[in-house]
Amino acid sequence: MRALLSAKGFGQRAIAESLVLLALAAWWWSSTHMATAVLPPPQAVFNRLLDIATNPSLSWHVLITSLRVLTSVVLALALGFLLALLAHAVPWLSGVIMDRVLVVLNGMPSVGWAILAVIWFKVSDFTVVFVQVMILLPFSLTNFAEGLRNLDREIIEMAESFARYRAATLTKVVIPMLMPYGIAALRVSYGVCWKIALISELFGAQSGLGYLMLQAQSIGDVTTVIATCVAIVILFTLGEACIINPIARTARKDIARAEA
Amino acid sequence: MRAALLPRDESLRKSVATQAFTVALLLAWEVASWCFPPFLLPGPYEVGRSLWSLLTTPAGLFQAAASVFHVGTALAIAFVVGTAVALLPFYVKGLRLAIDGRLTPFLNSFPGIGWTLLAILWLGLGLRTVIFAVAIILVPFMIINIREGVRTVDADLIEMVVSFGANRWREFIHIVLPALFPFMFSAIRVSFGVAWKVALTAELFGGTRGLGYTMNVARQELETPQIYAVIVLIVVIVFLGNRFVFDPMQRRLQVGSRSPV
Repeated sequence: MRALLSAKGFGQRAIAESLVLLALAAWWWSSTHMATAVLPPPQAVFNRLLDIATNPSLSWHVLITSLRVLTSVVLALALGFLLALLAHAVPWLSGVIMDRVLVVLNGMPSVGWAILAVIWFKVSDFTVVFVQVMILLPFSLTNFAEGLRNLDREIIEMAESFARYRAATLTKVVIPMLMPYGIAALRVSYGVCWKIALISELFGAQSGLGYLMLQAQSIGDVTTVIATCVAIVILFTLGEACIINPIARTARKDIARAEA
Repeated sequence: MRAALLPRDESLRKSVATQAFTVALLLAWEVASWCFPPFLLPGPYEVGRSLWSLLTTPAGLFQAAASVFHVGTALAIAFVVGTAVALLPFYVKGLRLAIDGRLTPFLNSFPGIGWTLLAILWLGLGLRTVIFAVAIILVPFMIINIREGVRTVDADLIEMVVSFGANRWREFIHIVLPALFPFMFSAIRVSFGVAWKVALTAELFGGTRGLGYTMNVARQELETPQIYAVIVLIVVIVFLGNRFVFDPMQRRLQVGSRSPV
């Protein structure tokens, strides 16, 4: 049975990887029939990626963008948690937060934030982080609010009646119960943040991959435009494997220990 | 617990606080607009006037209608493409990893602005660029939601139908499609909000008409009230769509799926 399963997995893998290769081949083949200014060949984009990764004056942009993304995700999670907690703990504020603040944040277009932030704060690192936090906030707020809504009242009451300190209830019961929602908030915010990282840097920054891409686009350098997009895909995937997944795994262990 | 003891009092306080917050915010906005120059922060009255002229003049309505057209067309294309891709592994089992592990994550992490700028370089400014950019950004949202549904379609049920001799087409119409309805609904619901927001970006960079185009013109002419008016309009459209179209539909869908077979 196990051998059969792994054979099936192998088949899936073979098909998946050969389709990826086929897509690359199709890209290469089409690029030979088109001008480089329309569709550069994959090896040109690959070379530009290597350049971005190894040339310090270019990799600096990568570092800046990554730092902004990580800062924004942390801030958005903290702010979203605080707002959700406020809505949960102060019943009369829940309408203000969930029916007003959240509705506006949900409907706000990201490019609207990007333009307004530049009008308000000019071009700076703060502007970029502000735009990213504002775009991420509805996602983290929704997830934490959902978690607080699903908190099991009875378990908390039981814990309170057994525990000597309120703090113990919080760290041993409430936080582990919220953990899955926190992880979901982290995952969603992290993914969205990479996608909107470029747009938040288009107007409000003089550095970062978004700035690099806009410069390239204005001179019709398609190779760099595609390379920055692929760089985003790679950075997102790397960060998910090296930062987000380990955090999720540790959290899952913590929850299991708290339940034991 | 407090809410259970004092439900009426509590909910009254909540709605008073909510409405008071709205009024307070508008007042604060008005007062703040006195302290800053109008190109930085125009007051609610000026923004309201700009919004009104957007919705009552033929030129403004034309731009709004263009955006409706962009969003509608892109939603339709993304829905058809997304459904087709999501159903592929259901009929060709070998493609599961290729779609769930390669294509969807790639589309899902590819930045939207990247598609927009590439579309401009490939297709030039105009209708095709906007629709292409919005549609391809929506496709992963459609795939992810509908894939979730395809996974839950009961495999045993289908085997039974097949063994009774129903053909593939009837199986699709009578079993697969109804089982997918709730997931298709949430796919469209999520995409609706995203579509309006990314259409603004696509029109701003690559459009020759639409609300995003209007906003770009306003940005170049420092017509700040118009920028605010377009943003307010988008927030209102997304809110109204959710409140008066998707929320009631969701309630009906839930009632429908709860009824015993």
